[in-house]
Amino acid sequence: MNGKIEYWVKIPIGPIHPALEEPEKFIITLDGERIINVDVKLGYNLRGLEWIAMRRNWIQVLYLAERICGICSFSHNHTYARAVEEMAGIEVPERAEYIRVIIGELERIHSHLLNLGVVAHTIGYDTVLHLSWLARERVMDILEDIGGNRVNYAGNMIGGVRRDIKDRHKKAILDMIQYYRQEVMPKVEEIFLYDPTVEARLRDSGVIPKRIAIEYSAQGPTARGSGIKKDVRYNEKLGVYPDLGVKPVTPKEFTGVIKGDVFDRMVVRVGEIWNSMEIIERALDQMPEGKIKAFPKDNLILVKLKKAEGEGIGRYEAPRGELIHYVRAEKGKDGPAKWKMREPTFPNLFAVARALVGEQLADVPVAIASIDPCLSCTDRVAVIDANTGKRKILTEVDLLKESIKKTKEINPNIKARPERIGIGRCML
Amino acid sequence: MTPEEFAERIKAKFEDVDVKITENKLPHPRKRVWIEVDRERFKELVRFLKEVDPAAQFSIIIAEDRGDRLTAKYHWEMFWEQGESLSVIVGTSCPKDDPVLPTITDIFPSSLPYEREVQEFLGIKYEGIPDPRRLFLPDDFPEGVYPLRLDETGIKPEMVKNAGHPYRRESR
Repeated sequence: MNGKIEYWVKIPIGPIHPALEEPEKFIITLDGERIINVDVKLGYNLRGLEWIAMRRNWIQVLYLAERICGICSFSHNHTYARAVEEMAGIEVPERAEYIRVIIGELERIHSHLLNLGVVAHTIGYDTVLHLSWLARERVMDILEDIGGNRVNYAGNMIGGVRRDIKDRHKKAILDMIQYYRQEVMPKVEEIFLYDPTVEARLRDSGVIPKRIAIEYSAQGPTARGSGIKKDVRYNEKLGVYPDLGVKPVTPKEFTGVIKGDVFDRMVVRVGEIWNSMEIIERALDQMPEGKIKAFPKDNLILVKLKKAEGEGIGRYEAPRGELIHYVRAEKGKDGPAKWKMREPTFPNLFAVARALVGEQLADVPVAIASIDPCLSCTDRVAVIDANTGKRKILTEVDLLKESIKKTKEINPNIKARPERIGIGRCML
Repeated sequence: MTPEEFAERIKAKFEDVDVKITENKLPHPRKRVWIEVDRERFKELVRFLKEVDPAAQFSIIIAEDRGDRLTAKYHWEMFWEQGESLSVIVGTSCPKDDPVLPTITDIFPSSLPYEREVQEFLGIKYEGIPDPRRLFLPDDFPEGVYPLRLDETGIKPEMVKNAGHPYRRESR
């Protein structure tokens, strides 16, 4: 010992913390301001989806998959549908493939615009948060127009898509692209590519070197920001993507250097918004006429899948990275015998936790925001256990009762009789 | 490397493993290589994958309860640097009365969280895992209950509250 006493401080960040958007826990060991170790604990959002899926049929799981995540809701049921199609050998009509591309890329635009705002927010640039989310409303409106919902637009069906893209949508999408090209993207580039203050803050913070990114299997913009030219749409030759000129975007094409820091990840996202708009334009141009579903009626799918046997894997590049779903079918069972999925945030979180070692504590929020974590995706397997100890667990029903009670307390004159809606008869 | 060449290389090195190639019906058909190997030779095969492509990307462990055996399938994406990549699935299994598999965290460090997940949900013990703590389940979750097992060590019906159909109630 050289007479110096070192203090290691452990700081728990989360599960509930103002710097985090979703519940997750990082236990950070500090030596002064320098990070020595980062430990990740997950599971605060566990919903037991795999367990629930054992009790659902093929089509019900499609809707369950959609609800894994609120932001990339199209990606999940898209990947699940691909896995099932591969397992059962179902051929998807070409028009449906193009519609999947268009909705998927619209989703990528809205997801990246969201993340640009979140990262700007974590560095205290809230004007950008409000303006980029304002710009995002335009693509949300289009998605609502196509699918009927802002999120969970239920576009997919096994063997095709459920909603067609009509001329009205086509015109709206082209208008939207025009608006983004001329009004939004120049400003976004001005901020994230050329603004000296933003560059000073984001450059060299949260660096994930290429070696670590490969070793920890980083995915999506996090990997591409470190110079890994990997994109499932391109590597897997997915659907009709090879005909549309998809390519992995790396920061090299924009700034000429690859450092693997937060700045580079944002550059990748900006580049991907440009790339997505081009893909949508080409897809709208090349989209053939024809039917959009392999099966005209949904119950035919169930009949076919009940006879199917085997296993299939679906892979797709979600806005955050590689998404992978696996299904296995057993003959005579009307649901999947096994359904398993992995989301890009899961490896990315561990990659960024490893990369934070040696950095400053102040970089933690922006580094975590820069991988665009989606925790409700990551925490997907669990069981609700109410019998450990003597705790009283409030179920959904209890919470609903309490909330009705409270409403009646506040306003005793209320006349409406709130009812629970959903599957089956409700008795409240 | 095409899937066929890769399958040949695996067969030349490991004569007793089961290799098959499947293809799907996309506009640009996609092949996958499925390998089935005993747990004794599993680690050797994983090492071989790393040798063939040092940048191979590990993606998922699919672990399952199949009656008297617990199976685990591992997926790798290989040769992604060359454009079209190769999707490889390696499956192995262990009997339920001796649920032990070798860890591969020393070869692919990114597999650690997946092994921790499988360990808590299926009860497969990983030999030599550097960090055997729980990842998803809470610390006060009972020992010896593995939520995704289908036998009596799985979730008991009385442990389940308000799951399944969200709007169905068994009791008032």
